[in-house]
Amino acid sequence: MKQKTVRVKNKLGLHARPSALVVKAATKYRSDFFIEKEGTRVNGKSILGVMMLAAECGSVLELIVDGVDEDYLLEEIEGILNQDFGE
Amino acid sequence: MKEITVRDFFDAKKKDLALSLISEPQTLAKKINSPHVNRPGLALAGFLEIFAAERIQVFGETEVRYLQSLKEEDLLIRIREMFKLDIPCIIVSKGLSLPPIMEYLANDLNIALLSSRFATINLISHLSRYLQDIFALEKTIHANLVDVFGRGILLTGKSGIGKSECALDLIHRGHSLVGDDLITLRYIDDQLMGRPGRDFGYFMEIRGVGFVNVEHMFGIERTRTQKTIDMQIELMPWQDNMDYERIGFSDSYAEHLGVKIPIIYIPVSPGKNVSVIVEVAAINMILKGVGYDAAEDFNHKLHEEIRKKSMQKKIDNETKNSESKE
Repeated sequence: MKQKTVRVKNKLGLHARPSALVVKAATKYRSDFFIEKEGTRVNGKSILGVMMLAAECGSVLELIVDGVDEDYLLEEIEGILNQDFGE
Repeated sequence: MKEITVRDFFDAKKKDLALSLISEPQTLAKKINSPHVNRPGLALAGFLEIFAAERIQVFGETEVRYLQSLKEEDLLIRIREMFKLDIPCIIVSKGLSLPPIMEYLANDLNIALLSSRFATINLISHLSRYLQDIFALEKTIHANLVDVFGRGILLTGKSGIGKSECALDLIHRGHSLVGDDLITLRYIDDQLMGRPGRDFGYFMEIRGVGFVNVEHMFGIERTRTQKTIDMQIELMPWQDNMDYERIGFSDSYAEHLGVKIPIIYIPVSPGKNVSVIVEVAAINMILKGVGYDAAEDFNHKLHEEIRKKSMQKKIDNETKNSESKE
């Protein structure tokens, strides 16, 4: 199991499009994936869950991965969250 | 290019268009190969440089009155000029009577002369609809076509994926079948129409049961002879890496005969109730049509929530800052 703290970088926060990217990327992997924000933990493979976090720009997310391909999963999700989505 | 003989047309539409044959029966052998009709107007006045001779020529009151106004010898020249251009047939509306010389020339040059009791405008619109139908572009594909809440849903996917089972389930829920397995798509009025690929009746093949007749089993009200296609739903085996639509923003289209229709891909796995998903997709489409888009609505609410949080954070920071200054 691995854990990493990241910040939401894009201006409009985790709205539908970025959330969909995160979830679509995550579902490719076998590892479990959770996102925690201010004490709320959601399944990172559930689109509604991720969007319900309503993570604004600058907010802190805890990414928790667990499984055989956890490193790759974590790397890809970080990559997505580092984008600004042209906002 | 498709073509029909004037005789085919006459036999098919005799009743509907209240047609009668003025010329001799052997004049019916000519071929029609254009989906349009023409009113000769200027051609009768001698302007033949631009003249759609291959079309059915409709003579309304204007043409007939003009011909009646001509002197016998002029009339003969004009009619002969036009008849030599190999027109398929002439239809006179309102049962108007033509100069006798025309009938003589029609028989002589082998051009069918028909008379309809319809008014010109009705005759033309009826004719256009019939010809468009006859000459429509078409192709036959492997699919099922169902009417779900009034929307034509084309179900596609590999053989054995469960298209027929899904269609049967939809019929069982009160929707209607247009066709199973083979669907003929036709391009009509800028839309895609679908009808059964063969005319055997509403049979379906259900694996494990064999043939069932939907009309006998569920009643004629669960069948449709044809339907405009509004959406295509492709059923596919569940694949772990497939990019399934998760929100409903993406607009994918399938193209048939040059018409684009929205397409959605639905993963199928054992025990998954696909027909409910098809129903939901149809209703969602109706909602979008009347201006409600669930994906947009949800995202709008989410943006609001995120904005509120950002504002709150800003306010908190400012208060913190001013407090620390003090």
